[in-house]
Amino acid sequence: MKLLLALLQTMSVFLVVAYIYSKSPAFKSLAAISNRPRNKIYLYFFFSAISMMGTYLGLPVHDALANTRAIGPVLAGIIGGPFLGTAVGFTGGLHRYFFGGFTAFSCGLSTTVEGLIGGVVHLVLMRKNKSSLIFDPTTVFFTTLFAEAVQMGIILAVSRPFEDALSLVQVIALPMTITSSAGAALFMSMIRDRRNLYESAAATFSTKALRIAERTLNILAKGFGRETACEMATIIHEETGVGAVAITDTEKVLAWIGCGSDHHRPGSPIASPLTRRAIDENVVIFADGINEEYSCTLSKDCLLNSVLVVPLKLDNDVIGTIKLYETRDKPFLNMNKSLGEGIAAVLSNQLLLYGYEQQKSLLTMAELKLIQAQVNPHFLFNSLNTIISIIRQDADRARELLIHLSNFFRKNLKRSGHLSTLEEELDHVNSYLKIEKARFEDRLTVEMDIDPSLLGLKLPTFTLQPLMENAIKHGISNMLEPGRARIHAWRDDDFAYIEIEDNAGVYNENNGKDGLGIRIVDKRIKFLMGNSFGTSVSCISNVMTRVTVKVPAGGASAP
Amino acid sequence: MIRAMLVDDEIHAREELQALLLETGRFAISAKCANAIEALDSIRSNKPDVLFLDIQMPVVNGFEFLAMIDEELMPKVVFVTAYDEYAVKAFEENALDYLLKPVEKDRLAKTLQKILKQPINGNSPTSVNSVIPQLTRIPCVLTNRIKLIGTVEVEYVESDLTGVHVVTAKGRYFTALTLKILENRTDFIRCHKQFLVNIDHIDEILLNENLLAQITTNSGRIIPVSRRHLKRLKEKLAI
Repeated sequence: MKLLLALLQTMSVFLVVAYIYSKSPAFKSLAAISNRPRNKIYLYFFFSAISMMGTYLGLPVHDALANTRAIGPVLAGIIGGPFLGTAVGFTGGLHRYFFGGFTAFSCGLSTTVEGLIGGVVHLVLMRKNKSSLIFDPTTVFFTTLFAEAVQMGIILAVSRPFEDALSLVQVIALPMTITSSAGAALFMSMIRDRRNLYESAAATFSTKALRIAERTLNILAKGFGRETACEMATIIHEETGVGAVAITDTEKVLAWIGCGSDHHRPGSPIASPLTRRAIDENVVIFADGINEEYSCTLSKDCLLNSVLVVPLKLDNDVIGTIKLYETRDKPFLNMNKSLGEGIAAVLSNQLLLYGYEQQKSLLTMAELKLIQAQVNPHFLFNSLNTIISIIRQDADRARELLIHLSNFFRKNLKRSGHLSTLEEELDHVNSYLKIEKARFEDRLTVEMDIDPSLLGLKLPTFTLQPLMENAIKHGISNMLEPGRARIHAWRDDDFAYIEIEDNAGVYNENNGKDGLGIRIVDKRIKFLMGNSFGTSVSCISNVMTRVTVKVPAGGASAP
Repeated sequence: MIRAMLVDDEIHAREELQALLLETGRFAISAKCANAIEALDSIRSNKPDVLFLDIQMPVVNGFEFLAMIDEELMPKVVFVTAYDEYAVKAFEENALDYLLKPVEKDRLAKTLQKILKQPINGNSPTSVNSVIPQLTRIPCVLTNRIKLIGTVEVEYVESDLTGVHVVTAKGRYFTALTLKILENRTDFIRCHKQFLVNIDHIDEILLNENLLAQITTNSGRIIPVSRRHLKRLKEKLAI
């Protein structure tokens, strides 16, 4: 009984060590089952030390030691596998061997075997995909229990004289087995608790980071300005729970949400020297409120005293900052510091993407302007010549044609990349066709077959006319035979189709002139409605060319 | 009166120009054509003094059309076009003048003066002493359409009682162009009174004892070579 109490005493020393250890940064190597060699070496030294300590703290009984040496090798085996367990056991065993006594060899051997037992349990659990049981104190308890029983067996089998061994085992078996098992189990439960704590903190962090990324994802697509800055600052403030969040450009505050928003007004110039430094030197600035303090230059009553300033970058140029503030009565959490830097990185990426999209759409606009300019001379002068001729015979028709011509050009001028209804598009095409029809007279006939329910369909402006112009300019006007053009619009499930067909059957994909108009129409539809929509061309040589426009039946939403 | 021929694919453009020409009182309209194919037929029977020619026309454009006209039939040429991107090329073709649509009366009066300064008959600057435009495509008449055959595809050209035929690896096509035009405006070589051959498509030349020869083309067609032309053919091939 006295022995049991003494052993329990030594065990409590272990628990203290385990507790201190679990608080130390070195604990990380235990928090994950990692195969990194450095980690293993670290664990080896730690558990070997535990094991040796068990020997030192042992109590002399019958020229032997009652001890808790087993805890080290068994835990090392369970956590790190048979190799680590055996290595720790061997080290602990060797250490014990040099203490001498008639059980020196049997104890040294049994300690190594105990490490191996722990390792076997590790292997079995890993094989059965029950790695969560590795950190289960119950597992540890029974493994140690079994290992100690084996040790007793080894002592009886190896130590001579057998009578001494037997009497020793009778005294130490029970107390040693109980204390080692209980000690190992308690040790493990402490490790497990710490580990869970780590994991839940990491999980909270990831969730928050993902939520912020998701919520801010599309805001920047609207550009980087006061409105979007305010939306983003609100989200970041809600998710991180810091005292205040501010977003600035390089000159002034764009948004300020949270504490201090009474005197930090959006639109006011940047007051803080810390922010200025972050912008000028393109560095992350952190004033933790303890070593370095943030002090508000605007108001003495401002409660904020710690700040993280992260520059927002676009192609390595600083275009603004995101700032997270905490008040005097709250420490600035490390988690929020990493979060803040992460958010700034995500937003910088989004800004880059936005700039790219903007350039892409500018390019499309430039191409559009180009093609509009290309249209003009031939069409204009031939049309005027036609009308001049018609004046001689039919002044009313000439007047009507001039009205169509002016309608056509007015629509052309209004084009600025917005949306039009199918009806407006058809009106534009119609004016164009009236004039072409006058130029070509019998050489051109046009059929229209439009589902009237589609007339309100929203399309990118300048979708149909370029396609019809292609059909006439590159197709029908080069035919000796009569030309036919057809516009057909219909609905099929959730999609609307508009088809423009001619009977010339000349389309050369590689010909830049032919394709440019169609490509721009395609690009703009994809830009506004997504990549599954756009134009497709089919051509049967000398028989027909058909350009099909596919859009959602709901049309485009506002750009 | 100056006999004018109008070629333009737009009917109102022809009518307008006709009206303007008639207003001057100096022109008689000998023909109006809607495309080069019609015009090719018409020019032979009408033999106009001046050709008012649009450039952008279906299938055969104005420049190509000029390359298809017999030299002795070649009238003075005035290009009439909507847009001046072809002006330089037009003058390379030795056009007499170049008018922009819509045509102004005063401008047309100047053209008239230019025409009057030239001798009505005989050598016009359009054709004589000028670089003869080369044909790159030969218009051939199929049952329901006009096919343009690139000269590089042509193996040989044959003239018989039914007319002139262009032969490629794929087939034999009737053309309204004469052998003489084709000989002058392409790299084809005369090898027989009735045959022109494209030397790029000659596979072998078989020489017979009696100085007659035969050409086998790449696609295996056989055409005769007459004694008179054999020498020149040999020279051309540097044999």
